[in-house]
Amino acid sequence: MNYKRQICVPALLFALILFITAALTRLRADTGTCGGASLTLPFTDVSSSNIFFCSIAAAYFSGLTNGTSATTYSPSASVTREQMAAFITRTQDSALRRGSLRAALSQWAPTFSSGGNTTVGAGPLLVQSDGADLWVANNTDDTVSRVRASDGKLLETWTAADAAWGVLVARGRIFVTGSTNPGKLYRIDPKQPAGDVTLVTGSVRIFPQGITTDGDFIWTANAGGSVSKVDPATGNVLTFTTGFSEPSGILFAGTSIWVTDVINATLLKLNPNGSIAQIVNVGSMPRFPIFDGTNIWVPNSGTDSVTVVRASAGTVLATLTGNGLTIPWTAAFDGERILVTNAALGGDSVSLWRAADLTPFASFSSGASTGPIGACSDGINFWVTLQIPGKLARF
Amino acid sequence: MNTQNTKSNRIAIVGCATAPAVRDARGKSIEKTERPSYYRAALLLMLLTVITAAFARLSADTGTCGGASITLPFTDVPASNIFFCSIASAYFSGLTNGTTASTYSPSASVTRDQMAAFITRTQDSALRRGSLRAALKQWASPSFAPGATTTVGDEPRSVESDGADLWVANYNDATVSRVRGSDGKLLETWTNAEFPVGVLVARGRIFITGNTNPGKVFRIDPRQTAGDVAVLNSNVGDSPTGITTDGEFIWTANFGGSVTKIDPANGNASIYTAGFDQPLGILYDGASVWVTDSGDGTLKKLNTNGTIAQIVTVGSRPSHPVFDGTNIWVPNYISDSVTVVRATNGAVLATLTGNGLNSPELAAFDGQRILVTTFGNDKVCLWKAVDLTPLGSVDISTGSHPRGACSDGVNFWVTLNGTNKLARF
Repeated sequence: MNYKRQICVPALLFALILFITAALTRLRADTGTCGGASLTLPFTDVSSSNIFFCSIAAAYFSGLTNGTSATTYSPSASVTREQMAAFITRTQDSALRRGSLRAALSQWAPTFSSGGNTTVGAGPLLVQSDGADLWVANNTDDTVSRVRASDGKLLETWTAADAAWGVLVARGRIFVTGSTNPGKLYRIDPKQPAGDVTLVTGSVRIFPQGITTDGDFIWTANAGGSVSKVDPATGNVLTFTTGFSEPSGILFAGTSIWVTDVINATLLKLNPNGSIAQIVNVGSMPRFPIFDGTNIWVPNSGTDSVTVVRASAGTVLATLTGNGLTIPWTAAFDGERILVTNAALGGDSVSLWRAADLTPFASFSSGASTGPIGACSDGINFWVTLQIPGKLARF
Repeated sequence: MNTQNTKSNRIAIVGCATAPAVRDARGKSIEKTERPSYYRAALLLMLLTVITAAFARLSADTGTCGGASITLPFTDVPASNIFFCSIASAYFSGLTNGTTASTYSPSASVTRDQMAAFITRTQDSALRRGSLRAALKQWASPSFAPGATTTVGDEPRSVESDGADLWVANYNDATVSRVRGSDGKLLETWTNAEFPVGVLVARGRIFITGNTNPGKVFRIDPRQTAGDVAVLNSNVGDSPTGITTDGEFIWTANFGGSVTKIDPANGNASIYTAGFDQPLGILYDGASVWVTDSGDGTLKKLNTNGTIAQIVTVGSRPSHPVFDGTNIWVPNYISDSVTVVRATNGAVLATLTGNGLNSPELAAFDGQRILVTTFGNDKVCLWKAVDLTPLGSVDISTGSHPRGACSDGVNFWVTLNGTNKLARF
């Protein structure tokens, strides 16, 4: 018995070692070569001979997949439509997150509590970035401020922009609406020393506010009840009144002009000849919307909501409430996030959503009695005009 | 399975149609003399029909997208397929090659390994095409042009971009240089920043760590005329180096054994020492602050109250890490390696070696690529961020001692500690 046991022990040990080795080999993570480097995956079912090994490695390392378990990827399994939804949205998110200028500049903080404000003119309303500087329409003192985005320095103040309201950056020029009766359209050549703005036309219809371009023409939404289409080269104006009560915001969504009508609580899609192609019912008193590449976000100042409209079809995707919405006025988009200003006294905040899935981030205070109203992104920061103290704030 | 069906269907059609035709032609050629004209015409017609049918079946599919006629190399995607334009877009932008040169197999299921190829190609394409570098036609891999450097102060350490200008901390002469990103021109020199190391751009201001004991944090208002830096706090712990922000507070990693959280509005600071040996680098990943502890070879995730939430073991003497949107890249100065850590759970994805790593000092990210400066052998080493594959290393002149680095979205910028320059890559 003793002799037998002596033989058995080493034999058993040997068998055990063989078994453990085999088991380890079977369970060990797979290693392959990608781009000349040896990479090891946690998955045990993706051999280096799989022609998709490096694709699976990239998907795993960049966070697009977690595998079907901690140690399996199930490479030959079919993708279900629900898995597909996760794959493509993670891919979209990752590409947007990594591809933004904010990523290259390591600006990962969601937003910075308001600080480093720049004093601009009196009663600033809308603001736009030209890629380097911000242009602010100061409604009360009839000026336009030019502020450097990198550090928030006030560079220039342009004058004689009567009741400046909306700002458009197009063809190397800055166009500004003058919300007077009759309305005016001004132009700034940023290459020239600051001085008086140039009048493009004094015959825009009553009270132009929002301004956009379709690439050929400049379009203004006139609160007096019309929409104007201006040839920037000649200053010739066509004004359309049919179907409009109080147009306010206006944008070009790549193929069509869209206008918000405050009184009718609608978002209107226009034909190039100014006639109405489609009417979308939104919330009460819609103001200044934004296009995110797919959808139009319409802040409804009368119902404390934001209506999200699919631009291709004009269908209402969602009506967002809460998230701090208090008389929402202007929406802005930075490639990933939508920012909406809450202009109400006591609102004094901005609300943020993730554009891809309409989920709320949070709202951030702009300081008591600041009246945040206009907003834009420069690709790194959001910039918000504070109407009451006459400041431009970086978020 | 559908691939097979599609293939065999087409083969069957071609086979059934052509084979009998050929046989007929041969077989009935005997009768040619009897009724030549009738047969010849019929045969010709039949052949033409068959050839036309076969050709139509095999020819590439053409459809209309965006008002234009588009032809695909695939013969199994008819214009009537409602996904024709999606398939066309996926093919033209390089997201798919089809299942063969002439088939896409539109009804086949996607396997998970094919899916990995689809989504990683999609991600690559979006990043490559969507970058500012693409819009500016900056396709060249970074190369070092010795002429394209800017002389800054004495022994430059960290550099950061504010989107337009670069801010460089010059350790030996207590200055901070402002260099224009578009052309590399030295714009300003700010003074009286004792032993500056780390640079942070936040809320329109520049914040700088002063590596003294007790340590300091300086502030620059870039809108003002260049002069002395302002002191935000002069007691932030022993020897602060790395600096970051969570959006609300400024955080510094202090080599003397602490981490400091500072309110940028009033300079009030909280100093945390529990669990820290020699903190060196620090970053914010959108959810948490992470600190490299060069004393015990770890990457530590912090709670907002400065306590340690998670400890990840990395290599020896981890230095200045970077976050790429998903992962944290930690250069290990003594181990000559880079540890890649998944930010969401702290798991170590890989430990990268080779690719020129020799005393790696600092990592930077430009949206697609990771750059690591190697102090030991005067190189910068590059990786593709999404798949961790090496892109090679670039030699800089001997003794240049590359140290700090950042991206401005177009170029990488590297401080050359040994030659007092800021270099564009």
